[in-house]
Amino acid sequence: MPKQKLNPLPAAAFQILLSLTEEDLHGYGIMRQVAEQTRGRMRLGPGTLYSSIQSLLEEEFIQEVESPPSKERRRYYRLTPSGRKLARAEAERLADLLRLARAKKILRGQHV
Amino acid sequence: MSEKIYSWLLWLYPARFRSVYGQEALQLFRDRVRDEQGFFPRLRLWLDLLWDLAVSLPLEYRRAQRALVTASVPQALDGTPSFSFLPDNSPRATALLLGGVVSVLAISGCLTVLSYVINHAEAKVIQPVRFTSRSSGFASQSSPAATPGSTSPVTATPAIGKLDAAERHRVIDGAVANLKQYYPDPDLSQKMGDALRQHEINGEDDAATDEASFARLLTRQMRDVSHDMHLDLAYSPSPLPDHPPQETPERLQQYRLAMQQTNCTFEKVEILPHNIGYLMLNSFPDPAVCKSTAVAAMHRLNHVNAIIFDLRDNRGGQPEMVALIATYLFDHPVYFYNPRENTSQRSWTQSPVPGSKLGDKPVYILTSHQTMSGAEQFCYNLKMLKRATLIGETTAGAAHAGVWRRIDEHFGMGIPETKPINPFGNSDWAEVGVEPDIKVPAGDALQTAEKLAQTNLKRTR
Repeated sequence: MPKQKLNPLPAAAFQILLSLTEEDLHGYGIMRQVAEQTRGRMRLGPGTLYSSIQSLLEEEFIQEVESPPSKERRRYYRLTPSGRKLARAEAERLADLLRLARAKKILRGQHV
Repeated sequence: MSEKIYSWLLWLYPARFRSVYGQEALQLFRDRVRDEQGFFPRLRLWLDLLWDLAVSLPLEYRRAQRALVTASVPQALDGTPSFSFLPDNSPRATALLLGGVVSVLAISGCLTVLSYVINHAEAKVIQPVRFTSRSSGFASQSSPAATPGSTSPVTATPAIGKLDAAERHRVIDGAVANLKQYYPDPDLSQKMGDALRQHEINGEDDAATDEASFARLLTRQMRDVSHDMHLDLAYSPSPLPDHPPQETPERLQQYRLAMQQTNCTFEKVEILPHNIGYLMLNSFPDPAVCKSTAVAAMHRLNHVNAIIFDLRDNRGGQPEMVALIATYLFDHPVYFYNPRENTSQRSWTQSPVPGSKLGDKPVYILTSHQTMSGAEQFCYNLKMLKRATLIGETTAGAAHAGVWRRIDEHFGMGIPETKPINPFGNSDWAEVGVEPDIKVPAGDALQTAEKLAQTNLKRTR
């Protein structure tokens, strides 16, 4: 079965990348950040979370880093430059979609 | 109980996923259980987990079987990094079957946990240190200091989740009194006591409404002052005994029997290809019972070219056994740091062992996140002495260096009452663990060690 390159990113992977834009986080921190940034719509379970983390690590979009000295000892993850670039590309793609949706007048109001 | 159910469910994942992320997943579960209390949050948690299992299990098995995602992803023509993904084929029959089994298991687990939560208001707390002197080296003593100026016994802490200011004050009293009586540095003891009181006066403890978080808070307050990671205050949901279990002939006999049945936890003693010795040791048992087994194991490995110690499942034990095994690995006495014992003549190994040929042979140690306590002492010293190459995961970070002092029926604290010299620095592995020299998932550590040992042996020939 050949590998298939997909665009857009899986939603969980995109949310994980976004959650790491400001600081390094451990798994639970990522889960909470994703829940917060999606206003509770997405609560990543351990299986989905670590499966996505594994994929992102393998493609070097994130990397594992040491725990900050002041924090408890856990595996922390950091966004890599290519991960940031990927997140930006995905955000731009979504923005294009949004512009299109507005042009087609399927959205109400100025903000979504 | 709920954690146990989830740890069983984790066994449904492929071995590779479990070995790399099993502990992380379990920790995430613990964090959610801690933070999501009450009937509906708990119901939502289990529904989330059920959904997560159903979604992620088939994906993980597909990943494990076909290993598609390990291949590198080519960059897109415009330079934008891309992301690989498996195509959305319809699920296989085996995946559907597995999903069904998982769903039944998860629903049963969910119902069990919910009924347990409703009936028992389950606690999420630090587990108490057990007073098995053979397994942890802790000494437990009831603490008269917990009730200064009083002859009446301290009463049990009431039901979980109802910690009020008076109870917090009582625990702080006990902690301050224990520090004053047992902590070896009176000046620091005074400062820590003052800090605990000041935090209480400032109302900083008010946020801790349950016992476990209060215990963690007090631990942090003491460590902020002393930077002593061996100092610990813990809460036990089950009542702590007044006194540590006494060493009776019956207990000793039970221990002997258990050790006989498990070959003193010397799980495997083998010679691998290229004459590499392999010793899987799952604890460091009491030499009073197991010395002959240890000597026989080391004797069997005496003629190997290199030796691999597999401590991935080793939860620690007796420092005397740690020292005994280490003695074989040196051709002269070396200082072997032990945080539980003041520096003395016993701090040096009795090396060389007459007839031992292992004193200069390469040593490799396999580690995991479960490698703890005495096993970490073994790892830490051999790493610091540059006598071994550690391969695997960072160890658990359990020094168990404090003497356990009971504050009341549910609270107690570990107080380090010794000040041994650590020639390798001020901090040891307490809370931070021992970093391996070569970081690989625990499941891959043996293979990595064998390859490395073979390569190094070829190089030296």
